Amino acid sequence: MTTSTTSQRSGLSSTALALIPIAIAINVALGQLVQSVLKLPIYLDSIGTVLVGVLLGPLAGAITGVLANVIWGLTLAPSALPFAAVAAVIGLIAGYARQYGAMQVWWKMALAGVITGVVAAAISAPIAAYVFGGVTGAGTDVLVAIFQNFGASVLGASFMQGAVSDPLDKTITYLIVWAIISALPKRLLARFGVHDK
Amino acid sequence: MQRTGLFIERAGFLQRLNPLTKGTGAVLLIGMTFLLPAPLTGAILLPGVLLPLAFASLVASRFLDVLVKTLLPVLISLALVQGLFFPTADPTTIAIGPLLFRRAGLQFALDTGSRLLIVAGAPLLLFQTTHPGTLVQALIQSGMPRSIGYILLVALQLIPAISERAVGVAEAQRARGLETEGNVLRRVRGVLPLVSPLIVGALVEAEERAMAIEARAFNAPGPKTWLRDIPDPRAEQIVRIGMLAALGALIVWRVATLFS
Repeated sequence: MTTSTTSQRSGLSSTALALIPIAIAINVALGQLVQSVLKLPIYLDSIGTVLVGVLLGPLAGAITGVLANVIWGLTLAPSALPFAAVAAVIGLIAGYARQYGAMQVWWKMALAGVITGVVAAAISAPIAAYVFGGVTGAGTDVLVAIFQNFGASVLGASFMQGAVSDPLDKTITYLIVWAIISALPKRLLARFGVHDK
Repeated sequence: MQRTGLFIERAGFLQRLNPLTKGTGAVLLIGMTFLLPAPLTGAILLPGVLLPLAFASLVASRFLDVLVKTLLPVLISLALVQGLFFPTADPTTIAIGPLLFRRAGLQFALDTGSRLLIVAGAPLLLFQTTHPGTLVQALIQSGMPRSIGYILLVALQLIPAISERAVGVAEAQRARGLETEGNVLRRVRGVLPLVSPLIVGALVEAEERAMAIEARAFNAPGPKTWLRDIPDPRAEQIVRIGMLAALGALIVWRVATLFS
């Protein structure tokens, strides 16, 4: 059965078409749940993006990231739109992480999480600094204030805030995705093109 | 389709326009806030353009409500963080109550805040006056890949259902003894039991959906027909070209002034 017949224009298989919207909804739903039920100082709003990147590759991951932020903007918070570029890169890195064999062992996934976190911090800093003046109205604004008080510029403080929060958040995200995929039956994974893991 | 995101069903001015015209307008407004001097644009564009449009479209109260709710925490945080901790050589301070604000910091907060009102307000008004289905259809008809439009619409419909499922999973796990309160470590341990049922369910559901997509020949080549017609009068097309030309001229002017 050739289930991965791709549409020529966009290169997305029917599996990707089916999984990406669900992954986007999981991003938004989990982001809210983690903050309202568990009240943790992490976001976990890119689990769906990393999942798609790891399962279906860089392109599908990037599309998931961008559209998740667009949808977020469409439904709840228009201010999520400027960060769509960051989400795209997160999905892209997740896709390449799998190609480099990150799924083989847990520590490679953790490493991919740290790298993703640093890159995400580097890209979101200029957006946070120039569009939002360094603050987003969240608890992490305290970090920005502290770094500025030690003499950092608005851009520098924004980056340092991200450099503290993002690697932690993304490492946890990658490890969760690794733990879940490792426990899945092979038959289900084969559907997403994961044979060797 | 009730409560699809921000959209409010009203018969106002913006609701009659083609989504592409509104989208181009929003892009032009956001471009202006970054190309023109900062406090000016926010002070003029919000009361001068966005608010009249919101009133003409009969969504003014909801528009202001959402704008205030999403931006007020950001604006307060902006004034406090930058007013108190802005890195500046300018020693001028302003005392407000017991707090000593730096003048340059408050100026920075005012500039960024006024910009932010437009950056968040313009898309907000677009989404409040445009049904997501109409917006996506207009985008597909003007060249966006059909698969991207499909993903956007399905995700919009799925978010309430998945959110509900997430809350259900949390309650079920709590009933089985999972602790979602207490210290941080205890709450971190709760993440995996909450997340894994959601992800596994998503993968199983995706498999079924993929079969449905194939059974309906979504990826089949050839022209498609549309159920609805979105009017796009000549006048609006001309307005769109005018707005894009204005944006282009602004960018050229800004780049030219940077190097002079």
